[in-house]
Amino acid sequence: MEFVTTLIIILAVVAVVLLHVAYATYFERKVIGHMQVRMGPMRVGPHGLLQPIADFVKLFFKEDVVPAGVDRPVFYAAPIISLVASLSSLAAVPFARGLVIADINIGLLYIFAMSSVASYGVVLAGWASNSKYAFLGGLRSSAQVISYEIAMGLSLVGVMMSAGSLNLTDIVEAQKADFFGCYAIPQILGFFVFVVAMLAETNRTPFDLPECESELVAGYFTEYSGFRFALFMLAEYVGMVIMSTIAALCFLGGWHGPFDVPYIPNFWLLIKIYFMIFFYFWIRATLPRYRYDQLMRLGWKVLIPLALANIVVTGIVKTFIS
Amino acid sequence: MAQVTRFKQRGWIGTILLLEIAKGMALTLKKLFSRSVTRQYPVERPSIALGFRGQHALVRNPDTGESLCVACMRCATVCPSKCIHITYHQDPETRKRIVDTYEIEALRCIYCGYCEEVCPVNAVVLTEVYEYASYDRPSVYYDKDRLLSNWDRFLGESGRDPKTYVNPFWRPRGADERTLPAKKRLPVPEEWTLEGQAKGIPLPVAASHGSHGGAH
Repeated sequence: MEFVTTLIIILAVVAVVLLHVAYATYFERKVIGHMQVRMGPMRVGPHGLLQPIADFVKLFFKEDVVPAGVDRPVFYAAPIISLVASLSSLAAVPFARGLVIADINIGLLYIFAMSSVASYGVVLAGWASNSKYAFLGGLRSSAQVISYEIAMGLSLVGVMMSAGSLNLTDIVEAQKADFFGCYAIPQILGFFVFVVAMLAETNRTPFDLPECESELVAGYFTEYSGFRFALFMLAEYVGMVIMSTIAALCFLGGWHGPFDVPYIPNFWLLIKIYFMIFFYFWIRATLPRYRYDQLMRLGWKVLIPLALANIVVTGIVKTFIS
Repeated sequence: MAQVTRFKQRGWIGTILLLEIAKGMALTLKKLFSRSVTRQYPVERPSIALGFRGQHALVRNPDTGESLCVACMRCATVCPSKCIHITYHQDPETRKRIVDTYEIEALRCIYCGYCEEVCPVNAVVLTEVYEYASYDRPSVYYDKDRLLSNWDRFLGESGRDPKTYVNPFWRPRGADERTLPAKKRLPVPEEWTLEGQAKGIPLPVAASHGSHGGAH
Protein backbone atom coordinates (compact mmCIF):
# COMPACT_ATOMS: atom_id res chain seq x y z
CA MET A 1 0.00 0.00 0.00
CA GLU A 2 2.77 2.35 0.91
CA PHE A 3 4.41 1.45 -2.36
CA VAL A 4 1.34 2.53 -4.31
CA THR A 5 1.10 5.85 -2.47
CA THR A 6 4.75 6.55 -3.16
CA LEU A 7 4.26 5.70 -6.80
CA ILE A 8 1.34 8.11 -7.04
CA ILE A 9 3.35 10.86 -5.38
CA ILE A 10 6.25 10.20 -7.75
CA LEU A 11 3.96 10.40 -10.79
CA ALA A 12 2.37 13.58 -9.47
CA VAL A 13 5.73 15.24 -8.82
CA VAL A 14 7.12 14.25 -12.22
CA ALA A 15 3.95 15.43 -13.97
CA VAL A 16 3.96 18.78 -12.19
CA VAL A 17 7.66 19.30 -12.82
CA LEU A 18 7.33 18.41 -16.50
CA LEU A 19 4.43 20.84 -16.81
CA HIS A 20 6.61 23.49 -15.24
CA VAL A 21 9.40 22.61 -17.64
CA ALA A 22 7.06 22.93 -20.63
CA TYR A 23 5.89 26.34 -19.55
CA ALA A 24 9.40 27.37 -18.51
CA THR A 25 10.30 27.22 -22.21
CA TYR A 26 7.31 29.44 -23.02
CA PHE A 27 8.13 31.78 -20.14
CA GLU A 28 11.76 31.95 -21.28
CA ARG A 29 10.83 32.88 -24.83
CA LYS A 30 8.35 35.47 -23.64
CA VAL A 31 10.72 37.04 -21.09
CA ILE A 32 13.67 37.15 -23.45
CA GLY A 33 11.44 38.39 -26.25
CA HIS A 34 10.08 41.29 -24.26
CA MET A 35 13.54 42.12 -22.91
CA GLN A 36 14.63 42.43 -26.53
CA VAL A 37 11.55 44.56 -27.32
CA ARG A 38 9.98 41.67 -29.24
CA MET A 39 6.87 39.70 -28.38
CA GLY A 40 7.97 36.06 -28.31
CA PRO A 41 5.54 33.35 -29.40
CA MET A 42 2.17 34.84 -30.31
CA ARG A 43 0.57 32.61 -32.91
CA VAL A 44 -0.36 29.33 -31.20
CA GLY A 45 -3.30 30.05 -28.93
CA PRO A 46 -3.92 33.38 -27.24
CA HIS A 47 -0.52 35.06 -26.74
CA GLY A 48 1.11 31.80 -27.82
CA LEU A 49 0.00 29.97 -24.69
CA LEU A 50 -0.22 26.63 -26.48
CA GLN A 51 3.28 26.94 -27.95
CA PRO A 52 4.89 24.34 -25.60
CA ILE A 53 2.26 21.79 -26.64
CA ALA A 54 2.88 22.52 -30.31
CA ASP A 55 6.63 22.19 -29.71
CA PHE A 56 6.13 18.88 -27.96
CA VAL A 57 3.95 17.48 -30.73
CA LYS A 58 6.45 18.60 -33.33
CA LEU A 59 9.45 17.10 -31.52
CA PHE A 60 7.59 13.88 -30.84
CA PHE A 61 6.73 13.29 -34.48
CA LYS A 62 10.06 14.32 -35.92
CA GLU A 63 12.21 11.79 -37.67
CA ASP A 64 14.76 10.24 -35.34
CA VAL A 65 18.00 10.47 -37.27
CA VAL A 66 20.95 8.42 -36.05
CA PRO A 67 24.14 9.34 -37.95
CA ALA A 68 26.14 6.53 -39.55
CA GLY A 69 29.33 6.70 -37.53
CA VAL A 70 27.93 6.89 -34.01
CA ASP A 71 28.61 4.49 -31.17
CA ARG A 72 25.05 3.25 -31.04
CA PRO A 73 24.55 1.87 -27.51
CA VAL A 74 26.20 4.91 -25.94
CA PHE A 75 24.39 7.25 -28.31
CA TYR A 76 21.05 5.79 -27.24
CA ALA A 77 21.94 5.72 -23.55
CA ALA A 78 23.30 9.27 -23.19
CA PRO A 79 20.02 11.26 -23.25
CA ILE A 80 18.40 8.70 -20.97
CA ILE A 81 21.24 8.96 -18.43
CA SER A 82 20.95 12.72 -18.58
CA LEU A 83 17.21 12.81 -18.00
CA VAL A 84 17.06 10.00 -15.44
CA ALA A 85 19.76 11.61 -13.34
CA SER A 86 17.95 14.95 -13.45
CA LEU A 87 14.58 13.47 -12.63
CA SER A 88 15.87 11.27 -9.80
CA SER A 89 17.19 14.37 -8.04
CA LEU A 90 13.55 15.31 -7.57
CA ALA A 91 13.19 12.46 -5.06
CA ALA A 92 15.05 14.29 -2.33
CA VAL A 93 13.63 17.75 -2.96
CA PRO A 94 10.83 18.82 -0.61
CA PHE A 95 8.26 20.89 -2.50
CA ALA A 96 6.35 21.78 0.64
CA ARG A 97 6.51 20.90 4.30
CA GLY A 98 6.25 17.09 4.28
CA LEU A 99 5.79 16.81 0.50
CA VAL A 100 8.96 14.92 -0.33
CA ILE A 101 9.29 11.52 -1.94
CA ALA A 102 12.32 10.43 0.10
CA ASP A 103 13.04 12.48 3.19
CA ILE A 104 16.62 11.29 3.47
CA ASN A 105 19.27 12.77 5.75
CA ILE A 106 21.83 13.17 2.97
CA GLY A 107 19.43 15.01 0.66
CA LEU A 108 21.89 17.65 -0.51
CA LEU A 109 24.67 15.14 -1.06
CA TYR A 110 22.33 12.93 -3.08
CA ILE A 111 21.31 15.83 -5.32
CA PHE A 112 24.96 16.67 -5.95
CA ALA A 113 25.70 13.07 -6.80
CA MET A 114 22.82 13.00 -9.25
CA SER A 115 23.82 16.22 -10.98
CA SER A 116 27.32 14.74 -11.39
CA VAL A 117 25.81 11.66 -12.99
CA ALA A 118 23.83 13.93 -15.32
CA SER A 119 27.10 15.30 -16.67
CA TYR A 120 27.96 11.72 -17.77
CA GLY A 121 25.04 11.95 -20.16
CA VAL A 122 26.56 15.06 -21.68
CA VAL A 123 30.07 13.61 -21.89
CA LEU A 124 28.86 10.33 -23.38
CA ALA A 125 26.67 12.16 -25.90
CA GLY A 126 29.68 14.18 -27.02
CA TRP A 127 31.82 11.07 -27.29
CA ALA A 128 29.29 8.79 -28.97
CA SER A 129 28.19 11.30 -31.62
CA ASN A 130 31.42 10.94 -33.60
CA SER A 131 31.29 14.62 -34.52
CA LYS A 132 33.85 17.31 -33.81
CA TYR A 133 31.26 19.77 -32.53
CA ALA A 134 29.62 17.32 -30.20
CA PHE A 135 33.02 16.12 -29.05
CA LEU A 136 34.22 19.63 -28.19
CA GLY A 137 30.92 20.37 -26.50
CA GLY A 138 31.20 17.25 -24.41
CA LEU A 139 34.80 18.03 -23.43
CA ARG A 140 33.91 21.55 -22.43
CA SER A 141 30.92 20.40 -20.50
CA SER A 142 32.84 17.82 -18.51
CA ALA A 143 35.59 20.28 -17.60
CA GLN A 144 33.07 22.95 -16.70
CA VAL A 145 30.72 20.80 -14.69
CA ILE A 146 33.53 19.19 -12.72
CA SER A 147 35.18 22.47 -11.79
CA TYR A 148 31.98 24.28 -10.92
CA GLU A 149 30.64 21.37 -8.93
CA ILE A 150 33.46 21.88 -6.45
CA ALA A 151 32.58 25.55 -6.01
CA MET A 152 28.92 24.70 -5.70
CA GLY A 153 29.46 21.99 -3.13
CA LEU A 154 31.73 24.24 -1.10
CA SER A 155 29.26 27.13 -1.27
CA LEU A 156 26.63 24.92 0.34
CA VAL A 157 28.98 23.75 3.09
CA GLY A 158 28.36 27.06 4.86
CA VAL A 159 24.63 26.34 4.78
CA MET A 160 25.18 22.81 6.08
CA MET A 161 27.35 24.16 8.92
CA SER A 162 24.77 26.78 9.85
CA ALA A 163 21.86 24.36 9.75
CA GLY A 164 23.79 21.42 11.11
CA SER A 165 22.10 19.08 8.67
CA LEU A 166 22.14 17.79 5.12
CA ASN A 167 18.41 17.14 5.14
CA LEU A 168 16.68 19.82 3.07
CA THR A 169 13.61 19.97 5.30
CA ASP A 170 15.83 20.50 8.33
CA ILE A 171 17.76 23.21 6.50
CA VAL A 172 14.53 25.10 5.77
CA GLU A 173 13.35 24.81 9.36
CA ALA A 174 16.76 25.91 10.62
CA GLN A 175 16.44 29.07 8.53
CA LYS A 176 13.13 29.86 10.23
CA ALA A 177 15.01 29.83 13.52
CA ASP A 178 17.81 31.97 12.12
CA PHE A 179 18.03 35.67 12.99
CA PHE A 180 17.59 36.82 9.36
CA GLY A 181 15.00 34.21 8.42
CA CYS A 182 17.01 33.08 5.41
CA TYR A 183 20.62 32.16 4.74
CA ALA A 184 20.98 34.48 1.76
CA ILE A 185 22.07 37.33 4.06
CA PRO A 186 24.49 35.69 6.51
CA GLN A 187 25.72 33.38 3.75
CA ILE A 188 25.81 36.12 1.11
CA LEU A 189 29.19 34.94 -0.17
CA GLY A 190 27.99 31.36 -0.36
CA PHE A 191 24.81 32.50 -2.11
CA PHE A 192 26.77 34.44 -4.70
CA VAL A 193 29.06 31.50 -5.40
CA PHE A 194 26.06 29.20 -5.53
CA VAL A 195 24.19 31.35 -8.05
CA VAL A 196 27.20 31.59 -10.38
CA ALA A 197 27.99 27.89 -10.04
CA MET A 198 24.32 27.08 -10.57
CA LEU A 199 24.36 28.86 -13.93
CA ALA A 200 27.52 27.01 -14.94
CA GLU A 201 26.28 23.66 -13.67
CA THR A 202 23.12 23.78 -15.77
CA ASN A 203 25.05 25.03 -18.83
CA ARG A 204 23.12 28.28 -19.04
CA THR A 205 24.30 31.67 -20.29
CA PRO A 206 26.82 33.17 -19.62
CA PHE A 207 28.38 29.74 -19.15
CA ASP A 208 26.69 27.88 -22.00
CA LEU A 209 30.01 26.99 -23.62
CA PRO A 210 29.09 23.30 -24.08
CA GLU A 211 26.24 24.19 -26.41
CA CYS A 212 27.22 27.58 -27.73
CA GLU A 213 25.44 27.96 -31.03
CA SER A 214 27.86 30.35 -32.64
CA GLU A 215 30.88 28.07 -32.63
CA LEU A 216 29.72 24.53 -31.84
CA VAL A 217 26.37 24.39 -33.70
CA ALA A 218 24.55 22.92 -30.69
CA GLY A 219 27.43 21.45 -28.73
CA TYR A 220 27.08 17.97 -27.32
CA PHE A 221 23.63 17.31 -28.79
CA THR A 222 24.45 18.46 -32.32
CA GLU A 223 23.81 15.00 -33.75
CA TYR A 224 20.61 14.38 -31.83
CA SER A 225 17.23 14.94 -33.33
CA GLY A 226 13.57 14.43 -32.60
CA PHE A 227 12.72 12.96 -29.26
CA ARG A 228 16.28 12.26 -28.13
CA PHE A 229 17.00 15.94 -28.54
CA ALA A 230 13.87 16.69 -26.52
CA LEU A 231 15.18 14.47 -23.72
CA PHE A 232 18.32 16.58 -23.47
CA MET A 233 16.32 19.79 -23.41
CA LEU A 234 14.05 18.28 -20.78
CA ALA A 235 17.06 17.30 -18.67
CA GLU A 236 18.46 20.82 -18.92
CA TYR A 237 15.22 22.45 -17.83
CA VAL A 238 14.59 19.91 -15.05
CA GLY A 239 18.12 20.71 -13.89
CA MET A 240 17.19 24.40 -13.85
CA VAL A 241 14.07 23.73 -11.82
CA ILE A 242 16.05 21.64 -9.33
CA MET A 243 18.82 24.22 -8.97
CA SER A 244 16.24 26.98 -8.50
CA THR A 245 14.52 24.87 -5.87
CA ILE A 246 17.76 24.24 -4.03
CA ALA A 247 18.55 27.94 -4.08
CA ALA A 248 15.09 28.67 -2.71
CA LEU A 249 15.35 25.98 -0.05
CA CYS A 250 18.91 26.51 1.10
CA PHE A 251 19.27 30.26 0.84
CA LEU A 252 15.90 31.97 0.47
CA GLY A 253 14.04 30.37 3.36
CA GLY A 254 12.06 27.68 1.55
CA TRP A 255 8.33 27.74 2.19
CA HIS A 256 8.58 30.35 4.92
CA GLY A 257 7.48 33.84 3.98
CA PRO A 258 6.53 37.12 5.63
CA PHE A 259 2.98 35.84 6.18
CA ASP A 260 1.09 32.60 5.70
CA VAL A 261 -1.02 32.15 2.59
CA PRO A 262 -4.09 29.99 3.26
CA TYR A 263 -4.67 26.79 1.21
CA ILE A 264 -1.32 27.01 -0.59
CA PRO A 265 1.26 25.70 1.88
CA ASN A 266 4.17 26.11 -0.56
CA PHE A 267 3.14 29.51 -1.96
CA TRP A 268 6.37 31.21 -0.92
CA LEU A 269 8.52 28.34 -2.16
CA LEU A 270 6.84 28.56 -5.57
CA ILE A 271 7.34 32.32 -5.70
CA LYS A 272 11.01 31.88 -4.88
CA ILE A 273 11.47 29.09 -7.43
CA TYR A 274 9.75 31.15 -10.12
CA PHE A 275 11.91 34.10 -9.28
CA MET A 276 15.07 32.02 -9.58
CA ILE A 277 13.90 30.63 -12.94
CA PHE A 278 13.12 34.16 -14.06
CA PHE A 279 16.61 35.11 -12.90
CA TYR A 280 18.07 32.48 -15.23
CA PHE A 281 16.26 34.04 -18.18
CA TRP A 282 17.05 37.55 -17.06
CA ILE A 283 20.75 36.69 -17.00
CA ARG A 284 20.44 35.05 -20.38
CA ALA A 285 18.86 38.14 -21.89
CA THR A 286 21.59 40.36 -20.46
CA LEU A 287 25.01 38.75 -20.46
CA PRO A 288 27.16 37.55 -23.35
CA ARG A 289 29.00 34.24 -23.19
CA TYR A 290 32.32 33.88 -21.37
CA ARG A 291 35.46 32.84 -23.17
CA TYR A 292 36.51 29.37 -22.16
CA ASP A 293 39.71 30.29 -20.32
CA GLN A 294 37.84 33.08 -18.51
CA LEU A 295 35.27 30.55 -17.43
CA MET A 296 37.92 28.23 -16.01
CA ARG A 297 39.78 31.10 -14.35
CA LEU A 298 36.60 32.34 -12.71
CA GLY A 299 35.81 28.88 -11.44
CA TRP A 300 39.19 27.95 -10.01
CA LYS A 301 40.68 31.30 -9.06
CA VAL A 302 37.66 33.19 -7.81
CA LEU A 303 34.73 30.99 -6.88
CA ILE A 304 36.54 28.14 -5.12
CA PRO A 305 38.70 30.47 -2.93
CA LEU A 306 35.57 32.52 -2.16
CA ALA A 307 33.65 29.43 -1.16
CA LEU A 308 36.55 28.24 1.00
CA ALA A 309 36.79 31.65 2.67
CA ASN A 310 33.06 31.48 3.31
CA ILE A 311 33.48 28.15 5.07
CA VAL A 312 36.27 29.52 7.27
CA VAL A 313 34.31 32.63 8.20
CA THR A 314 31.16 30.62 8.90
CA GLY A 315 33.15 28.25 11.06
CA ILE A 316 34.73 31.07 13.08
CA VAL A 317 31.43 32.87 13.55
CA LYS A 318 29.66 29.69 14.54
CA THR A 319 32.37 28.83 17.07
CA PHE A 320 32.22 32.24 18.70
CA ILE A 321 28.44 32.44 18.84
CA SER A 322 27.86 29.02 20.35
CA MET B 1 40.36 69.59 -31.41
CA ALA B 2 38.22 66.59 -30.76
CA GLN B 3 39.17 64.86 -27.57
CA VAL B 4 39.26 61.12 -27.26
CA THR B 5 36.92 60.25 -24.42
CA ARG B 6 37.43 57.02 -22.62
CA PHE B 7 35.13 55.13 -20.34
CA LYS B 8 36.04 55.52 -16.72
CA GLN B 9 37.99 52.57 -15.42
CA ARG B 10 35.97 50.37 -13.13
CA GLY B 11 37.04 50.68 -9.50
CA TRP B 12 37.48 47.76 -7.13
CA ILE B 13 34.14 48.46 -5.45
CA GLY B 14 32.46 48.25 -8.83
CA THR B 15 34.25 44.98 -9.50
CA ILE B 16 33.19 43.42 -6.22
CA LEU B 17 29.59 44.56 -6.42
CA LEU B 18 29.36 43.69 -10.15
CA LEU B 19 28.05 47.18 -10.89
CA GLU B 20 28.36 46.82 -14.65
CA ILE B 21 26.37 43.61 -14.67
CA ALA B 22 23.79 45.23 -12.39
CA LYS B 23 23.48 48.12 -14.84
CA GLY B 24 22.93 45.73 -17.71
CA MET B 25 20.36 43.76 -15.73
CA ALA B 26 18.54 46.98 -14.86
CA LEU B 27 18.38 47.87 -18.54
CA THR B 28 16.95 44.52 -19.60
CA LEU B 29 14.45 44.66 -16.74
CA LYS B 30 13.35 48.11 -17.85
CA LYS B 31 12.95 46.89 -21.43
CA LEU B 32 10.86 43.95 -20.19
CA PHE B 33 8.08 46.42 -19.41
CA SER B 34 8.45 48.53 -22.53
CA ARG B 35 6.22 48.27 -25.58
CA SER B 36 7.51 45.83 -28.15
CA VAL B 37 8.12 47.03 -31.68
CA THR B 38 6.85 43.84 -33.32
CA ARG B 39 4.12 44.16 -35.93
CA GLN B 40 1.87 41.08 -36.08
CA TYR B 41 2.10 41.09 -39.86
CA PRO B 42 -0.81 39.25 -41.44
CA VAL B 43 -3.15 40.86 -38.90
CA GLU B 44 -1.53 44.27 -38.62
CA ARG B 45 -0.59 45.75 -41.97
CA PRO B 46 2.38 48.05 -42.40
CA SER B 47 1.66 51.62 -43.41
CA ILE B 48 3.15 52.26 -46.82
CA ALA B 49 5.47 55.24 -46.94
CA LEU B 50 5.46 57.79 -49.75
CA GLY B 51 7.54 56.57 -52.68
CA PHE B 52 7.29 52.88 -51.74
CA ARG B 53 8.79 50.71 -54.47
CA GLY B 54 6.86 47.48 -54.85
CA GLN B 55 5.49 45.38 -57.68
CA HIS B 56 6.12 46.57 -61.24
CA ALA B 57 3.33 47.81 -63.47
CA LEU B 58 2.72 49.53 -66.75
CA VAL B 59 0.28 52.40 -66.44
CA ARG B 60 -2.82 51.70 -68.47
CA ASN B 61 -4.05 54.64 -70.49
CA PRO B 62 -7.62 55.11 -69.26
CA ASP B 63 -8.72 56.34 -72.69
CA THR B 64 -7.26 53.66 -74.98
CA GLY B 65 -6.83 50.81 -72.49
CA GLU B 66 -3.28 50.37 -73.76
CA SER B 67 0.12 51.09 -72.25
CA LEU B 68 1.54 54.60 -72.35
CA CYS B 69 4.97 53.31 -73.36
CA VAL B 70 6.56 54.93 -76.40
CA ALA B 71 9.49 52.48 -76.63
CA CYS B 72 12.15 55.13 -76.02
CA MET B 73 14.26 52.41 -74.31
CA ARG B 74 15.37 54.74 -71.55
CA CYS B 75 14.24 52.41 -68.76
CA ALA B 76 15.95 49.41 -70.35
CA THR B 77 19.09 51.50 -70.73
CA VAL B 78 19.18 52.93 -67.23
CA CYS B 79 18.26 49.70 -65.47
CA PRO B 80 21.33 48.66 -63.40
CA SER B 81 20.38 44.98 -63.34
CA LYS B 82 19.25 44.91 -66.97
CA CYS B 83 15.97 43.28 -66.12
CA ILE B 84 13.80 45.18 -68.61
CA HIS B 85 13.53 43.76 -72.12
CA ILE B 86 11.66 45.69 -74.83
CA THR B 87 11.16 44.93 -78.50
CA TYR B 88 9.39 47.30 -80.87
CA HIS B 89 8.80 48.00 -84.54
CA GLN B 90 8.22 51.24 -86.35
CA ASP B 91 4.90 52.01 -87.96
CA PRO B 92 5.84 52.74 -91.62
CA GLU B 93 3.17 55.46 -92.00
CA THR B 94 3.17 57.41 -88.73
CA ARG B 95 6.87 56.70 -87.97
CA LYS B 96 5.78 55.93 -84.39
CA ARG B 97 7.41 53.18 -82.42
CA ILE B 98 5.04 50.41 -81.40
CA VAL B 99 5.91 48.14 -78.49
CA ASP B 100 5.83 44.45 -79.33
CA THR B 101 6.95 43.01 -76.01
CA TYR B 102 7.71 44.64 -72.70
CA GLU B 103 9.10 42.24 -70.10
CA ILE B 104 10.42 42.75 -66.59
CA GLU B 105 12.25 40.02 -64.73
CA ALA B 106 11.06 40.84 -61.21
CA LEU B 107 13.54 38.42 -59.67
CA ARG B 108 16.48 40.37 -61.09
CA CYS B 109 15.05 43.79 -60.23
CA ILE B 110 16.74 45.66 -57.37
CA TYR B 111 13.87 48.12 -56.93
CA CYS B 112 16.01 51.20 -57.43
CA GLY B 113 13.19 53.05 -59.18
CA TYR B 114 15.43 54.49 -61.93
CA CYS B 115 13.06 53.23 -64.63
CA GLU B 116 10.07 55.19 -63.38
CA GLU B 117 12.26 58.21 -62.71
CA VAL B 118 13.65 58.27 -66.23
CA CYS B 119 10.44 57.44 -68.09
CA PRO B 120 9.38 60.53 -70.06
CA VAL B 121 5.71 59.55 -70.25
CA ASN B 122 5.18 58.02 -66.80
CA ALA B 123 4.47 54.63 -68.31
CA VAL B 124 6.41 52.29 -66.00
CA VAL B 125 5.86 52.44 -62.26
CA LEU B 126 6.73 50.55 -59.10
CA THR B 127 3.43 50.21 -57.27
CA GLU B 128 2.71 49.92 -53.57
CA VAL B 129 1.73 46.25 -53.89
CA TYR B 130 4.22 44.11 -51.98
CA GLU B 131 2.49 40.74 -51.63
CA TYR B 132 3.34 38.92 -54.84
CA ALA B 133 5.59 36.11 -53.71
CA SER B 134 5.15 32.92 -55.66
CA TYR B 135 6.38 29.34 -55.80
CA ASP B 136 7.58 29.44 -59.39
CA ARG B 137 9.69 31.71 -61.54
CA PRO B 138 7.42 32.18 -64.57
CA SER B 139 4.76 33.93 -62.49
CA VAL B 140 7.20 36.70 -61.49
CA TYR B 141 8.51 37.12 -65.05
CA TYR B 142 6.14 39.86 -66.11
CA ASP B 143 5.11 40.36 -69.71
CA LYS B 144 3.16 43.35 -70.98
CA ASP B 145 -0.30 42.01 -70.21
CA ARG B 146 0.73 41.00 -66.74
CA LEU B 147 2.25 44.45 -66.10
CA LEU B 148 -0.93 46.15 -67.22
CA SER B 149 -3.01 43.89 -65.00
CA ASN B 150 -0.61 44.67 -62.13
CA TRP B 151 -1.59 48.30 -62.61
CA ASP B 152 -5.28 47.38 -62.43
CA ARG B 153 -4.64 45.37 -59.29
CA PHE B 154 -2.83 48.30 -57.70
CA LEU B 155 -5.63 50.70 -58.53
CA GLY B 156 -8.17 48.25 -57.21
CA GLU B 157 -6.35 47.60 -53.93
CA SER B 158 -5.30 51.16 -53.21
CA GLY B 159 -8.44 52.82 -54.55
CA ARG B 160 -6.47 55.51 -56.35
CA ASP B 161 -7.78 57.49 -59.27
CA PRO B 162 -5.73 56.85 -62.44
CA LYS B 163 -6.45 60.40 -63.65
CA THR B 164 -4.84 62.11 -60.66
CA TYR B 165 -2.28 59.52 -59.54
CA VAL B 166 1.23 60.91 -59.19
CA ASN B 167 4.20 58.81 -58.16
CA PRO B 168 6.94 60.64 -56.24
CA PHE B 169 9.49 59.22 -58.66
CA TRP B 170 7.80 60.93 -61.54
CA ARG B 171 8.94 64.21 -59.99
CA PRO B 172 12.60 63.69 -59.04
CA ARG B 173 13.18 65.48 -55.81
CA GLY B 174 14.42 69.05 -56.19
CA ALA B 175 14.67 68.82 -59.98
CA ASP B 176 14.06 72.00 -61.90
CA GLU B 177 10.70 72.12 -63.66
CA ARG B 178 12.40 73.04 -66.94
CA THR B 179 14.67 69.97 -66.86
CA LEU B 180 11.69 67.61 -66.79
CA PRO B 181 9.95 66.22 -69.88
CA ALA B 182 6.55 67.80 -70.47
CA LYS B 183 4.53 64.87 -69.18
CA LYS B 184 6.46 64.76 -65.91
CA ARG B 185 5.53 68.34 -64.99
CA LEU B 186 2.60 67.16 -62.96
CA PRO B 187 0.89 68.96 -60.12
CA VAL B 188 1.82 67.30 -56.83
CA PRO B 189 -0.02 67.21 -53.49
CA GLU B 190 0.73 69.92 -50.99
CA GLU B 191 2.51 67.64 -48.46
CA TRP B 192 5.19 66.65 -50.97
CA THR B 193 6.54 70.19 -51.12
CA LEU B 194 7.79 69.90 -47.55
CA GLU B 195 10.85 67.95 -48.60
CA GLY B 196 11.82 70.04 -51.59
CA GLN B 197 9.55 68.08 -53.91
CA ALA B 198 7.98 71.32 -55.07
CA LYS B 199 7.58 72.09 -58.68
CA GLY B 200 9.79 74.66 -60.26
CA ILE B 201 12.59 74.97 -57.74
CA PRO B 202 15.47 76.36 -59.80
CA LEU B 203 18.71 74.46 -59.32
CA PRO B 204 21.88 76.33 -58.35
CA VAL B 205 23.64 77.36 -61.54
CA ALA B 206 26.89 75.50 -60.82
CA ALA B 207 25.16 72.18 -60.15
CA SER B 208 22.43 72.53 -62.70
CA HIS B 209 23.61 70.21 -65.45
CA GLY B 210 22.98 66.57 -65.60
CA SER B 211 21.61 65.89 -62.14
CA HIS B 212 18.14 64.76 -61.44
CA GLY B 213 17.15 64.34 -57.87
CA GLY B 214 19.96 66.22 -56.16
CA ALA B 215 19.15 66.37 -52.47
CA HIS B 216 18.70 69.74 -50.86
